[in-house]
Amino acid sequence: MSADTPIGYWYQLPYQTRKKVYNWLLNLVLAVGLVIVLFPIYWMLATSFIPPEQLFSVPNPLVPTNATLESYVAVLETDVLLWYKNTVIFAAGVVTLTTVAATLGGYGLARLDIPYKKTFARVILFGYMFPPILLSIPMFIFWRQIGIINSLPGVILAQTATTLPFSLWLMWQFFQTVPYSYEESARVIGCSRFQAFYEVALPLAKPGMIAVSIFSFAIAWGAYTIPTILLTSNSKWVLTLGLYSFTQAESVLWGQIMAASTLLVLPTFFFVYYLQKYILRGFRATRI
Amino acid sequence: MSLRESLATDQLHRYRRGLFESLSKRWVFVGLTVVPALAVFTFVNLFPMLWALAASFFEVGALQPEWNWVGLENFRIIVNDDRFWSSLSRSIVFAVGSVGLQVVAGTALALLLNRSFSFKRGVRAIALLPYIVPSAVLSFVALWMGNSRYGIINQILVQTGLTQEYLAWYGSLNLAMPSVIVTSSWKFTIFVTIIVLARLQSIPPSIYEAATISGASKLDRFRDITLPNLKGVLFIVVLLRGVWMFNKFDIIYILTNGGPQNRTMIASIYAYRTAFSDFNLGRAAAVSTLLFVLLVGAAIVYFHYFEPSQEVRVE
Repeated sequence: MSADTPIGYWYQLPYQTRKKVYNWLLNLVLAVGLVIVLFPIYWMLATSFIPPEQLFSVPNPLVPTNATLESYVAVLETDVLLWYKNTVIFAAGVVTLTTVAATLGGYGLARLDIPYKKTFARVILFGYMFPPILLSIPMFIFWRQIGIINSLPGVILAQTATTLPFSLWLMWQFFQTVPYSYEESARVIGCSRFQAFYEVALPLAKPGMIAVSIFSFAIAWGAYTIPTILLTSNSKWVLTLGLYSFTQAESVLWGQIMAASTLLVLPTFFFVYYLQKYILRGFRATRI
Repeated sequence: MSLRESLATDQLHRYRRGLFESLSKRWVFVGLTVVPALAVFTFVNLFPMLWALAASFFEVGALQPEWNWVGLENFRIIVNDDRFWSSLSRSIVFAVGSVGLQVVAGTALALLLNRSFSFKRGVRAIALLPYIVPSAVLSFVALWMGNSRYGIINQILVQTGLTQEYLAWYGSLNLAMPSVIVTSSWKFTIFVTIIVLARLQSIPPSIYEAATISGASKLDRFRDITLPNLKGVLFIVVLLRGVWMFNKFDIIYILTNGGPQNRTMIASIYAYRTAFSDFNLGRAAAVSTLLFVLLVGAAIVYFHYFEPSQEVRVE
């Protein structure tokens, strides 16, 4: 190839140079992608620190000039702390119920001979495909009939419908990657079946349990559809529903919405940063 | 340790052992492990499905708990309602558009993140953040950024000269659906990235090395190693995301509530309105049942290609 055309010139460059340029281009694409990913989060943070009266003087500077905590102070005077508390109870309830039921159930399915096990697996995964809106309308009817509507235990139970199927299946898969021979050895030296589960298999399944906890936490913390249908009085609301209270008929308190959102989002960022390797490992165990 | 203390510990050990023994009886052990999960699953997943099926043959008001048998009347009304069919076709547009965007962008991001570069761990963690931003937060941030008078997106676009005037992203008839598709994809692209990245990491590097030694170019390696490995996982992702986006509720509910002029009223919003604006829970249950039938169809395809009950045992 001659060096006259741009393409020809490109291929005359040494391999190392080409590789370097190529890598730089890909890094540039990645950087653009990261900006798209991050900008909404940044703008949420920035808006929460801009003085509320400045929000409506366009154009806004990209970096807030005289940052203030005004929006946060205003937010804390509303019911946000109550809703925050409800969110924590709600998420803790869903995570506990999901992790305990999924770990025990996953172990039982992996190790015990139970009839119709494979049919059960299909039903479980079908439950995973089932979207919250289709569950919550019949739940509203059913929960009202048995009197657990508009209560935190009722909504915790309801939300578990979205986390349990996948978690149960994940733990089932996970226990299959824990060598059975360890438990057999424990049995040989005189451990009971329960002891083999409790003292041998359970500690080995910890990464799976952490993955399940994070998965169910992420879903419960940001849940909207099921709580909005099942929680009818605002003293029972979780924070995702509470965000609505800052939209008023004539104006929307954007600064306060963004401040409350920031308060809601920050703890989850902390979680994911420290636990990302468990998330990836957990998903890898499912082999999908 | 005194004799008395050691006897006491002995006693304790014996109790503990006895407890473990009795917990190990087969039926107790089954009851302890499988039954709780099964009970919760039955109560929160299976019951509501059956409840919806039953309620779709009744007239159930949102305010009073009586049920009145109406037979197939609910279904007859829905099937004759044009709004149901147009909402169904909007669901398909929304699902196809957003899943397409998510799969292409998500896979590209996963491939970019799977290379080696500096600050890899931190960059990966940052890239995964959108997936845990709650949908409600995402919707409000998007509403604010896309605001027709004060939104930062309009400011940037006008200042850089890309558009002449401020646009109502979620409020104009032609822009609402594309805007909703892009907004919901911002979050769920990362779901695709997580799954694809996990799969990419499980491809042994030795395969790539062997291919390189045999003279395969970068493109060859991508086509003959990466893509075949991703094929299975992408199929599952398309199916799962397709089902979920088809029935997406929260994001659209907050962004547009089905508007403007029903341009974004997908089937889930239609079902919600039937239940809580028309106060007709029976008919809403019938809508759920119809959507459920579509889901079963998708599930049959899903299980045909992907056997979820396969087992492996590592010895």
